[in-house]
Amino acid sequence: MKKIIRFLMITTLLFSLILTGCGNEVNRDQAAESTEDVFKSQILFKGSSTLAPVLSKISTEFIEEYETWDKVNKDFPNKSLDIFVSAGGSSAGVKSVIDGSSDFGMVSRSVSDEEKGKIEGYQEFKLGVDALTVSVNPKNQIYKLKKNLSTEEIQKIFSGEYKYWDQVETSLAHEEIVVVTRDLGGGAHGVFQKKVMGDAQVKADAIQAPSMGALVTKIIENKNAIGYASYGLVNQNGGKIIPLDVDGVAPTKENIISGDYKISRPLLVVKKGTLLPQEETFINELLSEEGMKTIERMGFVPAK
Amino acid sequence: MHKKFEKIFSNSIKGITFFSVMILICIIIFLIKESVVIFDEISLLDFIFGDKWNPVRNPPNISIFPMILGTLYVSFVAMTIALPIGVGAAIFLTSVVNEKMRKMIKPSIDLLAGIPSVIYGLIGLLVLVKFFEIHFDFSSGESVLVGGILLAIMVLPYIISTCDESMIKIAKRYKMASDGLGISKWHMIRYLILPASKKSILAGIILALARAMGETMAVMMVIGNSPIFPKLLGKTQTIPALIALEMGGAQVDSLHYHALFAAGLVLMGILFVVNMLFYYIKKNIDY
Repeated sequence: MKKIIRFLMITTLLFSLILTGCGNEVNRDQAAESTEDVFKSQILFKGSSTLAPVLSKISTEFIEEYETWDKVNKDFPNKSLDIFVSAGGSSAGVKSVIDGSSDFGMVSRSVSDEEKGKIEGYQEFKLGVDALTVSVNPKNQIYKLKKNLSTEEIQKIFSGEYKYWDQVETSLAHEEIVVVTRDLGGGAHGVFQKKVMGDAQVKADAIQAPSMGALVTKIIENKNAIGYASYGLVNQNGGKIIPLDVDGVAPTKENIISGDYKISRPLLVVKKGTLLPQEETFINELLSEEGMKTIERMGFVPAK
Repeated sequence: MHKKFEKIFSNSIKGITFFSVMILICIIIFLIKESVVIFDEISLLDFIFGDKWNPVRNPPNISIFPMILGTLYVSFVAMTIALPIGVGAAIFLTSVVNEKMRKMIKPSIDLLAGIPSVIYGLIGLLVLVKFFEIHFDFSSGESVLVGGILLAIMVLPYIISTCDESMIKIAKRYKMASDGLGISKWHMIRYLILPASKKSILAGIILALARAMGETMAVMMVIGNSPIFPKLLGKTQTIPALIALEMGGAQVDSLHYHALFAAGLVLMGILFVVNMLFYYIKKNIDY
């Protein structure tokens, strides 16, 4: 009995091997017919951890809608649609475009001329604007007493010149100010440094949060914390953290688009060289009305 | 036929061993290659013993002494907490509880080692840090102490496992004789088991220390990452946390980027020295 079963097993296995072999052959022929070159069915995005969730959301919707490339456009072969998004910081995004390890880089700051020089045929697509709000914990009474902070006051708070909250506003409690920043070499801090701090340095014992999410969590958890939370995350955590006005300008959508609110940064997708047709389709999808809506839903200010 | 097979076997074993040593050498060469660049700008001594880290400023400050101290301090606090608890737990497991209980407790301790470090970090951030903020009136709970406590929990299974394995053997060896002589259990533990397991306790310390110094994610989440000289209740930054935090933001081939590699090289150097030191001590301890 056992012998027969074993025999049957082996024959079925052998047959399935032969059959799969045939299947591959057929597929290969089809592919060769439809396109001469090998069609690149994968698109890789790498970079900013601020943009990564947006890109993966839009790409997931895109993939679910079309599934294969031929449904996007008849000229494309019947190949599965793969869009990969990985986060690693804006500079890592630029890095990956320079060395070609990804097709697109996601960058949430302006790209420096030095970096542009390293990318042949540099192209950028602006998806939107992200603003950094100077935010505090709702238990901190400052937003009731003094809704507006001037640039100098923010500088003094972040550089450690104001050590206690009652130095900022005399009626506040005599409690130590807990400054939360992102890593001082990163994109978000670069924006803050340029737009607010200027030549002043952030105090050495500030907490450096490993991600924007961690920064917001810290502000939610600690009643004496102040930090630059991104506009998107403030909206997602409405009521749990309170953004303050800067130089009399509130961080609202209108003020950010018009450029009146000064602590903001562009959200870019950068590319080396020309776009392949399939890449162009996806970029158009990003810049379409639907894409812009998603960007707005994720809490950023869309470019269009 | 057999001879031939054996030859193939021994050669492939040699090849695999050689390969793994080569990987180590390649990593070291790569680290050195990426980090020597900064020593045109700054001397090795200034890099290690200077006290300011601000690589994106102009002119940049790249010195990692606060981080080196931070790494050592956090690991030291962790070991101080974990060692007595770990050795105690190992004694409890081998000498106090019965076989059935032991079989239940041991796997759950081993499971402790399998929890991803980011989970520890999350618990540390939301429970430990918050606890210190609320109950001890810290302005912010991120501190060397919290990092140490968290690391202590993380390295416990390593200490317990290494001690437990040898203690159970030692206990079996002496059990009959000491029972026969009517020696009490605690006397046996104090004067027989503990001295005899000196070596394995030391081995546990090495393993745990190496793990504690290299731990990145969990520590990064609870120590505040401020590049200042560490105080027990103040914020600090460790070398792995520094690298993980800033690598994503460092421009390729910038001074910042190479400085981070150099910091990694220093960390490897420290671990190498620690391992050598313990190896030397271990060799000189007689059973």
